[in-house]
Amino acid sequence: MATKSDTSLSSRLSPFQRFYLIVIAGFILGPFIPLLIQSFAFRWAWPDLLPGTWWLEQRGKSMMPLAWDYVLSPYSRVWEATVNTVAIGLIVTVICLAICLPAARVLAREKFRGKSAFEFFLSLPLIVPEAAIGIALLMMFIRLGLAGSYVGIIVAHLIPTIPYMVRMLTAVYQGLGRDFEEQAMILGASRWQVLRLVTLPMLLPGVVAGALFTFLVSTNIFLLTFFLGQGQIVTLPTLLFSKIAGGTLDASAAGITLIVTLPGIILLIISERFIKEEAFGKGFGN
Amino acid sequence: MSASSPAVPDPADAALRGPSARERRARVWQMVQLAPIMAVLVLLFGGALVLAVLQSLGFAPWFGVNTFPDFGYFGALWGSSTFWVSLGLTLYYATVSTAIALVFGVLLALALVKIFPGKTFYKYLYKLPLMIPYTVGIALAVLMLSNGGMLSRLAAFAGLIDDPAQFPQILKTHYGWGIIAVYVWKQTPFITLAVYAVLLGIGRETEEAAAILGANRRTIFFRVTLPQILPGVVSSTLICFAFNVGAFEAPFILGGGFPDTLPVVAWRYFNDADYTLQLQGMATVVSIGLVAGVILFGYLAAYRRFERRMGRN
Repeated sequence: MATKSDTSLSSRLSPFQRFYLIVIAGFILGPFIPLLIQSFAFRWAWPDLLPGTWWLEQRGKSMMPLAWDYVLSPYSRVWEATVNTVAIGLIVTVICLAICLPAARVLAREKFRGKSAFEFFLSLPLIVPEAAIGIALLMMFIRLGLAGSYVGIIVAHLIPTIPYMVRMLTAVYQGLGRDFEEQAMILGASRWQVLRLVTLPMLLPGVVAGALFTFLVSTNIFLLTFFLGQGQIVTLPTLLFSKIAGGTLDASAAGITLIVTLPGIILLIISERFIKEEAFGKGFGN
Repeated sequence: MSASSPAVPDPADAALRGPSARERRARVWQMVQLAPIMAVLVLLFGGALVLAVLQSLGFAPWFGVNTFPDFGYFGALWGSSTFWVSLGLTLYYATVSTAIALVFGVLLALALVKIFPGKTFYKYLYKLPLMIPYTVGIALAVLMLSNGGMLSRLAAFAGLIDDPAQFPQILKTHYGWGIIAVYVWKQTPFITLAVYAVLLGIGRETEEAAAILGANRRTIFFRVTLPQILPGVVSSTLICFAFNVGAFEAPFILGGGFPDTLPVVAWRYFNDADYTLQLQGMATVVSIGLVAGVILFGYLAAYRRFERRMGRN
């Protein structure tokens, strides 16, 4: 018994865990290897494990790898989709911040009747199926003339992003306490000065984390963009959807998949510095 | 819920604070700060839900249809056996993938709290699927799991099959292994993140205490660790399950075709040339919301009861 409990306490990996970590790495990263190969293949017939003809052998026909030549050309609409995705993400993030900052302040500091019901209402968008919201919103937006417009998509993206943003900002405000603001007030600072010189600088790390997460959620949204964009506005997820909707993946689709993955990798590297795992300790839902 | 109700202060609170004029100003200021978020969520989210319910009950004057309240659309929908098959498929994909992702996620979180070489690398690695759209996961599933895909080629390499048709069909069947694979791939990191965060917060003291008292590894996990990570488990699985019930792209591309999952069914109704079918689509949408709502509330209620039994509130 004693030796058993020793192993259970050890801060090292058990053999099973070591094996499991390798399996998980293969599960997560493995599929990207054939994806990369596919994007440089010229001909890749079953059952070859590697392409029968690489682009390199056919470079007389094309200077660029064929798939990448298409992906980087205007015909693929990749550039347009990237610009759309980033622009929509940025605007959504800014609006979401503006809406959630004051609300988070009240939620973190004030007590009022119905507060827990209100908090539950704020997290409802996370647990109401997206298809239900998307189709109902589309009906509404068609009536309002917002379907297929940037405004409609940006407004719709607020729904799934607000719950995360308000949660992360409330946690930041709770950590901040109100002593510093009160001291500044006592020393004669105006409300605006307090906001600019005390509150915002202290909030900044949390605000950056919330903004990054909101941007991430917005850039990953498929369903709302697809339903409400009416095919007129392409973002990276909807562009890729239209490429693979037939259930096959050719070399150019592989290239586009890699391009769609790229912003996520960049965000991952940036956000690892700002978003600490501990921030999620309180959970999302209840 | 109305915009004014949350801003009403607690009477006890009000008595403690200063004069009523200042109190009233503070209350107004509080309301002003909560107004934007209320406006967006009530108008958009609440509006969409109310409109969906009204329409599914026959209120669509812009189509020249106004038979409100008319339960015929629900009747027609719930009376057909394909609806129940669709509902069953939707819940089956959602439940199985959430359960698998939960097991994978908890195992990964438990491994991540240990110290090992390459831990920094793993902390980046496991979050990668979280950062990229579901459509990427679907593309990878097509590449790996289709009959001409990588697994099929590996099987041929190993001499198990000599024709793509002999590879067991994984995609486009009603078993939905392709859909489940995509959900698990995408959501394991989400659950890992939630559980790992809780594990970091609680530290290892309670586990150490249990070990000193002679508990074995199994007992420690089920009696000490699991109850503590339960809030993270419940909230993350709630979100994953709700998302899976309402997801469209994976079942649309990787699903087995008719009968489709409910979101795909609703989408097809909605895009039908016969636009009066849109009301049928709305009834489908409301049904998705109802089913998800009932299941999630049941889940939460069970969890709350468990918490009370545990002596937490």
